[in-house]
Amino acid sequence: MVAIYGDGDDHAHNDKPTFFKRWFLSTNHKDIGTLYLWFGMASGLLGGFLSFMMRLELKEPGIQIFASEHTYLVFTSMHGLIMIFFMVMPALIGGFGNWFGPLMIGAPDMAFPRLNNLSFWLLPVAFVLLVSSFFVQGSSSGNGFGGGWVMYPPLSTSGHQGPAFDLIIMGLLAAGFASIFGAINFITTILNMRAPGMTMHKMPLFAWSILVTAFLLLLALPVLAAALFMLFFDRNAGTGFFNPAMGGDPEMFQHLFWFFGHPEVYIMILPAFGIVSHVVSTFSKKPIFGYLGMAYAMVAIGVVGFVVWAHHMYTVGMDVDLKLYFMVATLVIAVPTGIKIFSWLATMWGGSIRFEIPMLWAIAFIFLFVIGGVTGVVLSMPAIDVALHDTYYVVAHFHYVLSLGAVFGLFCGFYYWFGKIFGVMYNNILAQIHFWLFFVGVNVVFFPQHFLGMQGMPRRYIDYPVEFATYNEISTYGAFITLAGVIAFFVMMAEAFIVRRPAADNYWGEGATTLEWTLSSPPPYHQFNTLPRVK
Amino acid sequence: MTDPESIDAEISEALNAQKKSASNRKTLGVLTVTAFAMLGLGFASKPLYDTFCKITGYGGTTRVASENTSDVSDRVVRVQFDSNTSKDLAWDFTPEKPYMDVNIGANNLAFYTATNRSDETIVATSTFNVSPVKAGPYFSKLECFCFTEQTLAPGESAEFPVIFFLDPLLLEDRRLDEVTTVTLSYTFFPVENPVGTIKEAALK
Ligand code: HEM
Ligand SMILES: [Cu+2]
Repeated sequence: MVAIYGDGDDHAHNDKPTFFKRWFLSTNHKDIGTLYLWFGMASGLLGGFLSFMMRLELKEPGIQIFASEHTYLVFTSMHGLIMIFFMVMPALIGGFGNWFGPLMIGAPDMAFPRLNNLSFWLLPVAFVLLVSSFFVQGSSSGNGFGGGWVMYPPLSTSGHQGPAFDLIIMGLLAAGFASIFGAINFITTILNMRAPGMTMHKMPLFAWSILVTAFLLLLALPVLAAALFMLFFDRNAGTGFFNPAMGGDPEMFQHLFWFFGHPEVYIMILPAFGIVSHVVSTFSKKPIFGYLGMAYAMVAIGVVGFVVWAHHMYTVGMDVDLKLYFMVATLVIAVPTGIKIFSWLATMWGGSIRFEIPMLWAIAFIFLFVIGGVTGVVLSMPAIDVALHDTYYVVAHFHYVLSLGAVFGLFCGFYYWFGKIFGVMYNNILAQIHFWLFFVGVNVVFFPQHFLGMQGMPRRYIDYPVEFATYNEISTYGAFITLAGVIAFFVMMAEAFIVRRPAADNYWGEGATTLEWTLSSPPPYHQFNTLPRVK
Repeated sequence: MTDPESIDAEISEALNAQKKSASNRKTLGVLTVTAFAMLGLGFASKPLYDTFCKITGYGGTTRVASENTSDVSDRVVRVQFDSNTSKDLAWDFTPEKPYMDVNIGANNLAFYTATNRSDETIVATSTFNVSPVKAGPYFSKLECFCFTEQTLAPGESAEFPVIFFLDPLLLEDRRLDEVTTVTLSYTFFPVENPVGTIKEAALK
């Protein structure tokens, strides 16, 4: 034990508690981070299963797999909600944020360890509520809620009068409050608990990304909560916030939802930005190019992200001047985003690049995120968007930034810190297989969807005219390849845990300069009892 | 661990920890208040939103005027009338004429006809807007059936009047130079708990 966990300052409380105490009553940021990672993986499997069924259904025109159209819509809605709230957010923010937020700033733990425990354990509760909605009455057409992850009324009020959607509201409120608690914890930790000498302007970019993300969560999630409460009251208490018959306005829900929703998309990508920055710098053996610009670009993205929300609503019939404003504001975000892209490229420029697994994911991330960003800029023009809105073009756009952006960032961090978290190293060949299958797979799934969208195929339908058959078939083959990639991932995991190649303290060598690399792998149960001093 | 220096270090660390947890609590307070403020703002958006639409005419919200003192202009705009009913409302509801050509500034009177197809007395209320939405701020109503709830006995028909004018300020707004047609649209919804009018209906 001492060999693994001890160095100079092992106090008596370096012993680990019993299994139940350690995992269920855990207040240790690293254990909670690990729990988040496993949780995200599990919900990722369920969310992935749902999307795989959708792709199977869409392989050919006609209705093959699903018993009813409603069930298909339930699958799309739940896929979106699960992937966003129970996979990407827990893994990126809860998992890596908990693990490496405190480590990178030289803090012994999070500011409020017990609140941290609550944040995590609210999630499984929320997940059970959400998933149980599958099995109870949603609308007259069947079980579950099929109104999309955006939950617009009146489809989510008079259109789904069964209790299924009430369960979803409760689940999302629980997950939302968990995230708000988490955000408060992260902000307090990062603002107050940095090691001596670790000024804000020396703080690693991943810590910056978590700080900005936490502020976005803190400001955006309560607005979602308010909107969900109003939906709940409209459904169950006879209010009419979104009911025009009672003087309400369903469009107001869209405003509230997207006031949350647009910052939410950055909540999912900023931590990935942070991770990719470290990986690019490590494997180029150079400090990140334009450190301050990178940090403040994230701040700028966060701030501007709050004033662009109506680019999701160009088709509601808004005033042309308002459209103009939202278009310009949206385009402005491309500037700090560009700063990040070019700084990554400049970091690699002239560096001695090593194509280790995390670097492959990082480079793929940059490449795919740029594609998604470019289609985003296309969509931000109202004149084009009225044609492309709610087509597969939008689906392609947000999957390029999310399932090929945020998820690649996730895997990037996972491989970068695998040895640090688990104390064992992965097998390089298996990891290569995982990467290449996944990379090819998701591109084959989503690239053809650009064409489908431009040809006018609308999203959220179980069936389509035969003109769209070819690209849909290709897209489904991509899903098979991706599935093979996911299997390779789990084989890689299993192999690593069976063979147990011990990981060195700093297995990436010279380029890895942040504080977590000064500790053992895995780090001691309690680290930094004597605070490190940063020059 | 017993030499005096390390005791000193431990004491100063304990003091530091105390300071830390005090400032942590302060941050916790500020952040919690922020979260609640955003929650409150979410709810407050309802009145804010309504007020915003009324003041600016966004979303094609029309104006209510108490009198019309404007000069009548030569410019003519075609006002089209549109009518809708909620699927839960057993009323027929149609404009008397599909459109009117009106002079900007002049008062106009238009009628809609409604018939109760059901065998119950029904109270209903209507929402309205105009498109293009940018014409909203210049569309003023002096009198409208949409200001109050309407009641129809079984099989009863009624004519609903609306008196409106187009505000001459429209002439000065360059964005409306190309507007030659404005559509006024109503949608009727059943009222579940009507206020006031229900008693009269019961007495009839
Ligand atoms: C340069 C940056 C970006 C721009 C200009 C942009 C622009 C847009 C626009 C205009 C839409 C609305 C399309 C429509 O519904 O008709 C949209 C949708 C979307 N974007 Fe982006 N986007 C950008 C980056 C991102 C990023 C980084 C993410 C997430 C990581 C993201 C996630 C989404 C999602 C999830 C939707 C669809 C939501 C839905 O309708 O279900 N976008 N984007
Ligand atoms: Cu957006």
